Amino acid sequence: MTTDRVTMSMTNRTLLANIESAAARVAKAQAKLSSGKELNAPSDDPYAVGRALQLRSELGEVQQYQRNVSDAQGLQQAMDTTLSSVNDYVLRARDLVVQGANGALGQSDRNAIADEIDQITDGIKSAANARYGDQYIFGGTKTTTAPYSTSNDTYSGNSASIHREIARGADVNLSIDTKTVIGDSGGGIISVLRTIASDLRSGSTAALGTTDLSALDAAHDGLVGAQSRVGAVAQQLESAQSRLGQLEEVTTKQLSDVEDADMAKTFVDYSTQNAGYQAALKAGAQLIQQSLLDFLH
Amino acid sequence: MSISSFLGIETALRGLEAQQRALDVTGTNITNANTPGYTRRVATLVETQGLRDVPAGVLGTGVSVQSYTRIRDGVLDYQARGQGMLLGYQTARRDGLSQVEATLSEPSDTGLSSLFDKFWSSWQDLANQPTSTAARQAVLGSAQSVAGAIQGLQSRLTQIDGDTQQGITTTINDLNDTVSQIARLDDAISSQTKTGQQVDGGLLDQRDLMLDKLSSLANVTITPQADGSTTLAIGSFTLLSSGTQTQVTSVSALGSNLTSGKLAGLVSLDTSIAGSGGYLSELDTLASSLISAVNTQQAAGYTLNGSASTQAFFTGTDASSIAVNSALTADSSLIAASGAPNEPGNGDNALAIANLRGSTSIDGAYQSLVTEIGSDSREAQRNADVAQTLSDAVENKRESVMGVSIDEEMANLVRFQRGYQASARVMNAMDDVLQTLIERTGRVGL
Repeated sequence: MTTDRVTMSMTNRTLLANIESAAARVAKAQAKLSSGKELNAPSDDPYAVGRALQLRSELGEVQQYQRNVSDAQGLQQAMDTTLSSVNDYVLRARDLVVQGANGALGQSDRNAIADEIDQITDGIKSAANARYGDQYIFGGTKTTTAPYSTSNDTYSGNSASIHREIARGADVNLSIDTKTVIGDSGGGIISVLRTIASDLRSGSTAALGTTDLSALDAAHDGLVGAQSRVGAVAQQLESAQSRLGQLEEVTTKQLSDVEDADMAKTFVDYSTQNAGYQAALKAGAQLIQQSLLDFLH
Repeated sequence: MSISSFLGIETALRGLEAQQRALDVTGTNITNANTPGYTRRVATLVETQGLRDVPAGVLGTGVSVQSYTRIRDGVLDYQARGQGMLLGYQTARRDGLSQVEATLSEPSDTGLSSLFDKFWSSWQDLANQPTSTAARQAVLGSAQSVAGAIQGLQSRLTQIDGDTQQGITTTINDLNDTVSQIARLDDAISSQTKTGQQVDGGLLDQRDLMLDKLSSLANVTITPQADGSTTLAIGSFTLLSSGTQTQVTSVSALGSNLTSGKLAGLVSLDTSIAGSGGYLSELDTLASSLISAVNTQQAAGYTLNGSASTQAFFTGTDASSIAVNSALTADSSLIAASGAPNEPGNGDNALAIANLRGSTSIDGAYQSLVTEIGSDSREAQRNADVAQTLSDAVENKRESVMGVSIDEEMANLVRFQRGYQASARVMNAMDDVLQTLIERTGRVGL
């Protein structure tokens, strides 16, 4: 007789091994189904897990850059608003200079205009003390001290730039050269306005109409230049935002491809494995009961 | 030469006895069908010496039981034990590595990998808002999470390694115990062999079971001796020879002789975790890279009040000691976010730290550690599955030879029962013949 003998414990061992492996497959399919993840442990697919960790890190980075951009946009808008209110002040001052250069005006009227110019200068200084969050935005990196005080025209900020990273190694510069544009006692809008006020008080109408007006125009040009630079940054941020948005979408999709279970496929898998498991159990229950013993009397 | 009239009765009696012994063996087989290590027995029947009946030839005189034979195949034993070693080795590795893998809890939102992400992001946020206390606290919080997670991982790996070493000690004790049990069985077996007795099959079964167990523990070479005893060795390390046992005191006593079995599996697991270049040392390297990279950058920066940084960010040197400097947790303004003196709004240094993200010696190294552990664990799972399949196959083969088949025993039961009945009938016939002889002869004319 050449056929292998089959004993009960062989049947038992084979049956148990089959039932156990079927149960393990069901458990695995169940884990995928309940977590919705293809990868539940590094050993499920070590390469894919490595890739998933990398993609998660990339996604975290992209989302951080998005936060940086939106923070930069807030800062940029605050600067833009401040600069346009400074612009309004300068335009009003220009009207007053033209008015004050009129020789028909009495000195007391010119004194009144000079007072208004001083008020405008104070207005510009307090506008330049604007804050975004708890940071002064026109003081360079000296964000904790106000750039201007009411007692004098000294600029107490610095010329260091404020920048935000919007991609690895790519910065946007958000600062303007406050000392040159807004100025202090030595130059810029503030100094021009101070000269104008003193010329008004001393009645130097000739200087008002010529040098003062052209100095104010030059200072105004500087301001408009700064405004347009800030405006350009806004565009840069907007395009960065849409680029990062796309990048986030792509990375999220890649991550989902690597990490997430295909639910339809997983469900079919689960049903198949479960059916296999049930079949193994049923077959086992029948097989294990029968022997010649059942048929001998 | 004439044949005794009573020969037939003797023949029938031998038949009854032989069939009954065979039934006894069948009964023993059936009752031991589920006994681990039981080898089925067969009563080997032989024809008894005949009587010369000149000139007809030789007249048969019946049957007797020559021996009770254990049905076992030494080659299959050898194969099964070889697979047992591999299975022991791979199962030990698989079980340990699946624990190691579980401690990582990757990929998830709670693993070290995502804590690293949060850590680097908090530095970016600080770079955006260098003067914000909230941003500074967030950096400290996320740094404490990272340090805590690294320490936790380190202590769990150490714990698993401790369990593994405990397992090695237990396995060595188990191995010594098994060898001493085999030595005792050997003693009994060889004393029976020396006195020329048939050796008790039960003793042999027990010894085979012990040898199976021993083989699953280590790569043991089994050499049977003429006196029925065995010589056991792991490579060139002799465990048992001529009844003298050498105790294994430690794994190092075995050295490179140990190549397979549960013990070797545990030793290799221990090396993977705590050996040089193992998971723990990779974690230590990663932690010290993190500490030195962040501290170097922190030292290059300036605190919120504008002065040069004097406090380290992390304290400690490796995975077990990494912690956030308590001076910083007490005063978050000491975090050197600024890249220049007296510029509180400068976040350049924080940005430089944030840009350590993805460094191949820090979070990149962690990703490769996860991939490495995953690969090791997957390989161990596959190898263990293969070893299990092969072991099941050869066990089945062995069982096919030595195991008790209830069907077969039932058939034998019927066969020997019928044989017994038929022998009884023969005796009955002989009895009838003698009755005729005694009662009917010599009565002519009565």
